[in-house]
Order: sequence, then structure tokens, then C-alpha cells
Amino acid sequence: MTMRRVKERMKIPLMLAPALGIVVLLFGGGLLVGLGQSLGYFPAIGLTEFTFDHYVSVLTDSNFLSSLWLTFRIALVTTVLASLLAVGFALVLRHQFAGSRFATFLFQIPLPVPHLVAASGIILLVTQSGLIARLGVALGLIDVPADFPAIVFDKAGIAIILTFLWKEVPFVGLVVLAILQSVGPQYEEQARTLGANSRQRFFNVLLPLIMPGIMSASIIIFAFTFASYEIPLLLGVRFPTTLPVEAFRLYQDPDLAQRPEAMAISIVLAVVAILLLVAYRRLARYAVK
Amino acid sequence: MTLDTKPPDKSAPQDYEEVRGTESRATLWVRWIVLASIAVFVLLPIITLFVWSFAFRWNFPNLLPTEWGARAWIYAADDSSRVFEGLWNSLKIGGLVTLMAIIVGLPASRALGQHDFRGKGVVEWLLLMPIIVPALVATMGIHQIFIRLGLTGTVFGVALVHLIPAIPYFVLVMASVFANYGTALEETARTLGANRFYVFWYVTLPAISSGLLVASMFTFLISWGQYVTTLLIGGGSIVTLPLVLFPFLSGASHANAAAISLVFVAPAVIVLIFTSRQLSRDSSVMGGFGKI
Amino acid sequence: MRHRKNSWRVVLALMAFALLVAACSSDDGAATTTAGDATDTTAAADTETTTTAGTTETTAAAAGTAIDAPGFTTWEEVLAAADGTTVNWFMWGGSDTINTNVDDDIGEVVKELYNITLNRVPADAADFVNQVLDESAAGVTEGGSIDLMWINGENFATLKQANLMYGPWAESVPNAVHVPWADPAIANDFGEPVLGLESPWGHAQFVVEYDTAFVAEAPTTFEALQTWVHENPGQFTYPAIPDFVGSVFVRHLFYWAAGGPEEFLGEFDQAVYDKYAPVVWAYLNDIEPDLWRGGDTYPEGAAMADLMANQEIHFNMSYDPSRASTNIASGTYPESIRTFVFDTGTLSNNNYVGIPFNAANPAGAMVIANFIVSPEFQLVMADPEQWGWLIPTDPTTWTDEQQATLASYGSGVATLPLVELNEAALPEPDGDWVTAFEAGWIENVLEN
Repeated sequence: MTMRRVKERMKIPLMLAPALGIVVLLFGGGLLVGLGQSLGYFPAIGLTEFTFDHYVSVLTDSNFLSSLWLTFRIALVTTVLASLLAVGFALVLRHQFAGSRFATFLFQIPLPVPHLVAASGIILLVTQSGLIARLGVALGLIDVPADFPAIVFDKAGIAIILTFLWKEVPFVGLVVLAILQSVGPQYEEQARTLGANSRQRFFNVLLPLIMPGIMSASIIIFAFTFASYEIPLLLGVRFPTTLPVEAFRLYQDPDLAQRPEAMAISIVLAVVAILLLVAYRRLARYAVK
Repeated sequence: MTLDTKPPDKSAPQDYEEVRGTESRATLWVRWIVLASIAVFVLLPIITLFVWSFAFRWNFPNLLPTEWGARAWIYAADDSSRVFEGLWNSLKIGGLVTLMAIIVGLPASRALGQHDFRGKGVVEWLLLMPIIVPALVATMGIHQIFIRLGLTGTVFGVALVHLIPAIPYFVLVMASVFANYGTALEETARTLGANRFYVFWYVTLPAISSGLLVASMFTFLISWGQYVTTLLIGGGSIVTLPLVLFPFLSGASHANAAAISLVFVAPAVIVLIFTSRQLSRDSSVMGGFGKI
Repeated sequence: MRHRKNSWRVVLALMAFALLVAACSSDDGAATTTAGDATDTTAAADTETTTTAGTTETTAAAAGTAIDAPGFTTWEEVLAAADGTTVNWFMWGGSDTINTNVDDDIGEVVKELYNITLNRVPADAADFVNQVLDESAAGVTEGGSIDLMWINGENFATLKQANLMYGPWAESVPNAVHVPWADPAIANDFGEPVLGLESPWGHAQFVVEYDTAFVAEAPTTFEALQTWVHENPGQFTYPAIPDFVGSVFVRHLFYWAAGGPEEFLGEFDQAVYDKYAPVVWAYLNDIEPDLWRGGDTYPEGAAMADLMANQEIHFNMSYDPSRASTNIASGTYPESIRTFVFDTGTLSNNNYVGIPFNAANPAGAMVIANFIVSPEFQLVMADPEQWGWLIPTDPTTWTDEQQATLASYGSGVATLPLVELNEAALPEPDGDWVTAFEAGWIENVLEN
């Protein structure tokens, strides 16, 4: 083999090495250590035997299952609603009309705004004594805070979902918009000349075009929502809470012997996320076909 | 997981041109509703924050503060609040994370965007894992090691953990950008005798610059918004803006929370103003998120 | 077009380079650089004129004084070792008033007097206790990130029992003469003997804050409270355990069930717990449906002040008897808020400052702790116009003039008089009881 060919062959691995290295070392390393701790291996406090006890204890705990369900439900509702709303907005915004450029700019604003700030603004609006409730008083609709529906610190997690929607609808919307713009109106025009009505144009032409993009963007927001710590902590109820909050709470317990269980919850969280992704992609492939 | 790296057909018309006056009544109504709802949806929380930051006493059921005051802003400007320290640390760490992401991410995304090779699927999976699996999990795992290595409580240590969720997003956007970017120009330059560096600096970089700008923005923003990872690895010594803001969010000082939130959001919005055009015009950038 | 793209590249590169340089140059130094700024910019000319004269006296008298602390034999040595250093003081940062007060009244003064730079690090006790535990588990036995901690109760017990506290030192610092170490309330922190491992800072007592605009007569017995809650559904609640205040609220109920604190003052006794726990859970579960949000959730402690200010609830609780007055003055509370204590008394305790075993700067930490219990600073703390805190030190050890100043202080508009507070004061139980109560509440009330 000549030097040139060796260099050629080395080129791609070399390009990939630094990024892969960091991911494997930091992310993979962290997961591995976490896995070890979840299996009971925590020499720092004298635990050196491997055991599945912590997993058993976690998976059979009904509180854990409530937390898992809550985490999943919030992520699912957010993703579905965000996708629906985003497609709706994108379909309108792709046209140029009076105010459309300004609207598109406004639509982008939530993108760089950190989630904590979004939560900050939304708390001020939707608590029972928040601005919207006060508007209700001014309009004579309610009298006391208790009359206003409980949206924050509620078991349904409505404020949590609202905050995520505020951030994610523009995100998915802009992805769909990008796809629509790169494809252009040509397919729809063709369909129209062939006699298709608007419903047929949407379902048979547009939707298949944007579906992969929607699927992909929704993977991202589902994963993000599923993994979120700060928002459920700030806006949710004390119990049951989402898995990342539970895991971290246990991790911070002064009794270090709780760590393995905290790590077990985390690993289960990671595994569930991966499984959901795999299932989702299978579903996506099927739907796109 | 495969990244869809086929370039789109650019020969088709790109814009949805329309003849004014042909829209139906329903369409006009829908557009107005959409415009109004976007405006309310986006602006209401932000305006609320602005007003709250200048409120001294604002209790239920008043629609406007009963007593105004700049107390929250004065506190934010005071050293006790550590807002400036947090701002500076957030900027430092964000810059460091972005720089590191660019250095390791550019070659990787180029490889993914422009080449096909054995094991590409595996590499894609690996690189995108930190998007799927919560970064918190890896951070908890790596915490003790960082303590031993003396990385906790340092700017560099915090930047490293921020890199975990940041790299996948960067690679996702840039791989798409590279895919759309034809290598024809580069090859031409090479045949004309340009060396590698020349080609990179004068040919490649300008072509991908808008995409690079947006990818860097996303990376910066990911680091900018990190809370619990900084809390864990920063060890209290590294105070970033989210850490300054968080206690006020769960407490009763709404004015303080509002003022600090606005400081927190300002740099990010400034970045947006610079990159807004790329976001709405260059489809390869946002489109990258549609290609998992 | 070309030019524009070029300049973008340049800007990006410059920004990145600048940030990289900045990041590398002050990697670990974040603490020291900014702390220095904190003391420089704000004016040092504060209100207390007595401080400088008074404390220099104390330090002059203390030079050459023997001290019993690991690594030091005289106070002179401690002062010398602390000179020019930075102390990383980790404490709860949720009150901007306390934050500013600490930075101004402690930070600036110790800079002036002892050339110590105070780096106040806002962190929850649970978090920084964990940090000490983590550092210990990772084998970091010196040069730790925490020098001084605002600590008491279970957190102190956790660290003490794991042998992670530096010391003993607190009983031999020069100003320890002003601390009534013979008093069991000071010598024991939630039943755990202090043994000189921490030094007192402030004295706390539980009070209930209420909105006189909505509550005609304060319900000063638990029976009256129960009736009020049933008659006014949705307007009362208490913070979720493990909040400090929520936890002590539940402790009051145990004392009420047992008719007094005596049975809980010794070691944990399962039989005693089993006798009274059902009464307490029955009470709490009985009022639960009539609590705020129907008891579906219990708020975070910090959120309750907002709920009360916005008339969602009409009661709040605190370990700080003067917080209501402070909040009225800062605009957080409406002016109709007042406080009361239960007829059967309310729990009081002391909070302390401690030093972790691996502190990088124990000398600086001790100097600050010593300053805290000095009469001059205790007066600043007691002054309702400044801190408005209750003090743990013994004024009878002060000069006549200082005692007269203390006597001249009134109380805040919503603060109960000291006499009334002292009469109602009850001791805290042993830490093990607290743990049992908290776990019991989570199991029998929260998850019910």
C-alpha cells in the first residue's frame, strides 16, 4: 500500500477522531461509571460487589412508575402539540404577505431564549395570581385567585407543557419552514394543475415532503423534554415528579448509599429514551412509506 | 440512524410568490389569526418580564404595579447579586464550548456530510447519542472522576460537560451544511494549484460561514442555558447566569427574577439578530435538524 | 457580498480567540478576582461607627492568646495565616437582603480589619454538604473548595458523624467568651453536641405570618387553626418537606400531640414515635382537602411568600421573626401582614458556621467566625434597622454601653417583642427525631 493510500484511508477516521473521542470519553465514560454505580460498584464508600438489587428496587417501586409515566406523558403531549401547531404556522408563514416577514422574525425569537427565562415569563402569566388571572378579575370573570384554573404546580403539568411549547413550536416550525422553502411550490403547483383539491394537495404532496423533517425535529424535542430537569422542578408538583428530578434528588441525598439507586434511575431513563427512539424511527419509516 | 445528506434540487423556484388579491376570505382570516397569535404567544411573556423588572409592589389583583421602582435592576447591578460575574462566566464558558465544538466538530461533520464509509451509521448513532440520552446522566457519572482530576470548580471543567450535549447539535447542523455544499469549487481551486490551507480559508469557509454561524449560535446557546450540569461540576465556585437566576425563580422576588432573566436573555437575542437572516433564508441550516 | 462574509469570519475568529484567552487566563481564579472587585467598588463608609474602634481592641487583646485549633497554637498565628487570603463561605443565597448584608456588613469589614477577602458562594446547604461528602469520597483531603459553611441541624450531624468537620476550634477563639457555651441550647445543635465544631451565628424562632386583612383573629392553637382551615378552604398550606420550615411545622404538631417537648428531647424512641405519629398524620390528612390546591401539592418554601402577597393563601411561616417586617419594607409583603406564635410555644434554634475538614483556608474562616460573635457585629445584627436578627450571644458579657444600645432597639412593625418570643421558645429535638418525622410525613401525608 502506498503512503498516499494509507493517508487517504486515515483521513476519515482522523477527521472523526476528536469529536468521537470526546463523546466516547466524556459521555460514554460518564455512562459507564454511572452504570457501574447503578450495579452497586461504588468503592469510594466501600461497595465493591455487583448486584442488580438497585434495579429491582427501582423498577418495582410504584412511585418510580408514576414518575416514568409523567415524564413520558409530558414529553409526548409536548411533541404532538408542538408538531401540529408548528406545521400550521409554517404552512401560513411560507407565503409572503403583509407582515409575514415580521411574523417570521417574531417566530424566531423564542429560539435563543433560554428555557429558564421562558419559564420565568410564563410563571408570571399563568399562576392563579398571575397576569392572566388578574385580567380575568378586571373583566369580571373571577374574584379570587382560587377561581382561576390551577395551571402551575398541577398534576397535569400544564405550565410545563406550555413552557416547552413556547420554545419548541418555533423550533419545529422553522425546520418545517426550511424544508418547505427548499422544496418550493413546484410539486403543489403540479398537483393543482392535475386537478387535486387543497386537501389532497396537503395530504398527498406536502405531508410526505415535510414528514421526515417533522419526525426528526420531534425526536429532538421529545428527547429534550424527556430529559429536562429545571422546568419540571420549577413548575411541577412536589410529588410525583419527573424522572430526571427524582434521579438528581436522590443523587444529592446526604446518604451516599442512595447513589446506586439514583444511578439506576438514570440508567433506566437513558435506556427508555433510546428504546423510544428506536421504536419511533421504526414507526417513522413505516409512516413515510 | 442516518443523516439524509442528499442535496436538494435547487433548480426549482424557491419562493412562494403570489399575486396579491387572489387569496380567499378564509385565507386572509387565517393569516390574521396566525399573525396575532404569534405576536401574543411570543411577546406576552417577554413584555411581562419587562414590566415586572420595574415593579416594586405589584400584588393581586392589580394589572399594573402599584409601586414602581428600579430596585431589582439596582440589585442586579450590585456585586452582591453576582449578575456580572455570572454573565462573564457564562460568556467565557460559552465561548470556550463553541470554540472546542468548532475545532472537533468541523472535521467530523465534513466527514459525515460528504463521505460515505463503512460504519457511518454507527458513528452517526454515537455522535447523536447525547441528544437522546440526558446529559445529566453522563454528568452524574463523571462527577467523581472530575473531582479527582481537579476539574470541578473550574471554567474548563464546566465547559467540558457543556460540550457533551453541544457537539451533537453542532455536528447535526454542519453535516447538513457540508452536504449541501458541493465540493466542486474546492476541487477547482485545488487543480488551479491552491494549497490546503488556502482552499479552506478562501473557498470552504466563506461558503459554509452562514451555516457555521448558526451552528455556533446553537452550540453557544446550549451552553448558555445549562443549569444543573454547571451546578454539579461548578461546585459553587463557578457561578453562571442560570445559577444566579434559579433561586429567584422559585422564590417570591419576581422583580429580581425578571431583571436577571432579561440580562440573561439579552446576549442571546443579540446573537439572534445577527443570524436571523440565515435562519429564515438558508434552508440547509435549520433543515439540518430535519435530517436525523 | 464577499466582503460581508469575510468580515463575519474575522469577527467570529476574534471573538473566539478573545474568549479563549480570557478563559485560559483566569481558569480557577474566578473566585479571587471577582471577590476582590466586590469589596473595592462599594463604599466602605457604612453606618456603624463603633465597629472599627471596638474590634481593634479585641484583636489587640487577643494577640498572643493561646488557641486550641488543629494546626495553630496562638490567635496571632491564625491572624497572620489569614492575612491577605480569600475565604469561600458557602451559604443559602435565596434572600437578596441577607446576601447584601453579608457582603456589606461582614465582607467589607473583614477586608478592612483583617485583609481577608470574603467570597460568599450562594448554595443550598444540602448541595454543599454533598460537595463535602463528594470531595471526601474522591480523596480530596486538603485544599477543598469550601472554607466556611452556614450550617446547622441535620446537615451538621451528617458531617460531624462522618468526621468531616474541622476542629474543634469554636470554644477557644477570643470572642468565644461572649458565647454562652454552658447553655445546652447552644452546646447542642438539634441534640447533637457541638463540641466546638461550629460557632453560633444567629438565633432563630418559628413564627407564623398572617394577613390581617383576611384573618380576623390569629388562630393561636392547633385546634383553632384546624377550625379556621375547614371554614376557609384553600387559604392555608405549609411548605413541602424537606423544606426546613415545613419540617419544623410538623415538629410542632408532634409537641402538641404529646402535650410538650420533653419526650422528644432524648434519643429517638420508636415507641414514643409510634404513639404520637398517628395523631399527627390524622390531623394533617384531615386538613389536607381544605388546604391550598386541595392538598394536591405543597409549595416550595420560597414560593409561599408570593402566594401570601397575592392573596392565594393567608398564612406563611418562618424561622425569622423579623422577616415579615423586612418583607413589608422591601415591598414583597402587603402592609397588613403580622406574626403570631402558638399558645403552646414555638421551636427555636441557633444557626452556626462551621469549617469542613478539608478547608483550604481554616484560619480565614475562624477569623470571620470570631468576628461574627463580636459584640460590635452582634449589635449590627440585632439592630432592626439593619439586620433585625435575634442573637445567640450573651449581652451580659458586653460593656454597659453596648448593652444599653441593645436595650434601646425596638422591633419591626410586624415583629413580636423579644419578651414574648423568649417566653414561647421551645427546644428542638434530636436530629434522629427530625429524620423520622420527615420520612413519616412523606410516607403518610405526601404520598397518601
